This record gives sequence, structure tokens and C-alpha cells, in this order.
Amino acid sequence: MENEVKQRREAAGLSQRELAERLGVSRQTVNSIETGKYDPSLPLAIAIARFFEASVEEMFHVDA
Amino acid sequence: MSMRNGSAPGKRAPLVVGLLAGAAVVVVLGLLVREFGPGNMGNGVLAGGSIALLGIGAAAWRAWHRPDDAGPLDRHFAGSADERDAVVLTRALAVAGVTALPLTGLATVAIAVGLRWDIALAVLLFAQLAILVVAYRREVVRG
Repeated sequence: MENEVKQRREAAGLSQRELAERLGVSRQTVNSIETGKYDPSLPLAIAIARFFEASVEEMFHVDA
Repeated sequence: MSMRNGSAPGKRAPLVVGLLAGAAVVVVLGLLVREFGPGNMGNGVLAGGSIALLGIGAAAWRAWHRPDDAGPLDRHFAGSADERDAVVLTRALAVAGVTALPLTGLATVAIAVGLRWDIALAVLLFAQLAILVVAYRREVVRG
């Protein structure tokens, strides 16, 4: 699943560590999400979307 | 909505209590086996148990003091695992669990055809540990 996390994070001027601390997960988890290796749970996906003031659909895209 | 915190240090008291309880079990079990068990199995229990406890302590220390170097298992021991850490560990344990069945069958057959039981059990134990380590590393890399 593709996502906009990296683009949104960089636009917000945050490091992976800073975003991880805000979300309450490890930096490695943020990295895995950004690289598409790990698909977050629904609660975490919602938390990410809320953090960036976007919808889950805007943040995460099912591969075409 | 709150996530389990994978970056903040977990509470240390449960780990310290767990390590002390584990040390007590290892010492009692090791001395019992050394007294009544065959060969040097008691020393093996004491050495293996001590190494395992030291490893757990070192993993937790790494999660607390070097979070960027810490892995899912480190954070589990430190009490700061997040959802991905749980997924990684669950998948690795599932692989170890599934492969334990045929491995145990093989060990049973090996004993039945004449292999010494202590050698078969030792090989079985180390094979299961090796599979767990490989499965864990694979899951960490995979995501």
C-alpha cells in the first residue's frame, strides 16, 4: 500500500524520530510505513491522518 | 486515540522483577538438575539461563539508552513495544511454533532408531532457537 506519510512529514519539517514520538511508535515503524514495508493498523492509520489533518484515504492508497 | 509508545522508555520495575524471578528460577532449576540430572546438564542450565537473562537485560538497556539501534525484541523487553514490534514478534514465533511440530517428530524418530536422547533433545533445542532467530531477523527486514 502506498502512502503520503513521507511527503507530509517532510513538508511539516519533521524527522522520522519526531513523528514517531508524536504518534507514540518507534522511528523504525515510521520508516517501515514510509517505505511501504508495513501497513499500519486502522487506529494508527487514523492517528497518522489526524496528525496531518487529512483523511485516511488521502494518506493511504491501495496499489492500482 | 493513543498508541503504545515505541519510543518512550517503558517502566523498568516489571523488567527488574522479571529478571530477579528468572534468576531465582535458573539458580534453583540449575542446582536441582546439577544434583539429580545426567552429566553436566545442571551447568548447562545455569550457563544458558544466565546468558539468556543477561541478553534480556542488555536488550532492554539498548532500548532505553540507544533507541535508534534497538529492535522490536529490545523494545518488548523494555516494555515500549509498538504495534509493528508485536507483529514482527508474532510472525517469528508463529514460524517457530509451526516448525516445532515436524522437528519434534524428527527428533522422536531419531531417538526411536537409536540416536541418544540427550543429543536429539540438544539438537532439537538449538534447531528451534536457530529457526526463531532466522525468522525474527527475516521479519525485521521484511517490515
